[in-house]
Amino acid sequence: MNKYEKAAAPAVALMLLAAGAIFLFAPTDSLQGPVQRIFYLHVSSAIAAYGCFAVVLLGGVIYLRNESLAADRLARAGALVGVVFTTVTLVMGMLWAKPIWGTFWTWDARLTSTLVLWIIYAGYLLVRRLAEPGRQGARFAAVVGIFGFIDVPVVHFSVTWWRTQHPGPVIINDALPPEMLATFLFTMACTLVLAAVMIAIRYRIETLADGSVPAVAEQASVVTTREPEPVQ
Amino acid sequence: MIYLASAYAFAVLLLGGYLAWSLRRLREVERKSER
Repeated sequence: MNKYEKAAAPAVALMLLAAGAIFLFAPTDSLQGPVQRIFYLHVSSAIAAYGCFAVVLLGGVIYLRNESLAADRLARAGALVGVVFTTVTLVMGMLWAKPIWGTFWTWDARLTSTLVLWIIYAGYLLVRRLAEPGRQGARFAAVVGIFGFIDVPVVHFSVTWWRTQHPGPVIINDALPPEMLATFLFTMACTLVLAAVMIAIRYRIETLADGSVPAVAEQASVVTTREPEPVQ
Repeated sequence: MIYLASAYAFAVLLLGGYLAWSLRRLREVERKSER
């Protein structure tokens, strides 16, 4: 068992504890019934996705400043894990919407902006896959990652900026009973730990994979080890 | 109830599947890099 598998085991255990809190501790909502329990992981996944895309933003800014390959790898790792969590958010939200709104999907501001977020970072990953390894692709992806982050506050504040079918913020408005709030905060903490472990694993994969791609390995040697050429 | 079960089944499959896949991929890449 390597150290990444050792880190994954407690992250999984925490998620199992969160599942216990969601299904055994949190009270059943009097209006929506058991389906309201989707809320805990749906919102936690959205917050984890915001965190992942903040990592992409940070990695992109650092890469554009000093061409750090580590920052570029971190951005790639954040984008992939962020797309996974955004997918969870979207699909769980659709499965929650059907019994409550009577439809899986409606083009309201929150849902549409979240779908746009998914498309932006899926596009980012596609750019990374299709572009030749090296500076050009990494620079372009960094710009996409930085500008793509503009959609994160749009998603977050869409429910206050526009009239939406999606409910507004319940956490900051004290709309949750204490047991529900405690369950949500615990689930969110566990989901953030899982996201961090996933990013760490993906970062390691990217690091090892970069070493086996000649163009990237050469770029790394240019950045880190090559001696300056003597001036004639 | 079916929507609640489907939502969590999907989340477990995607998050668990992704985690398992990435740990397997890491082993493969580590093995390759050791050669």
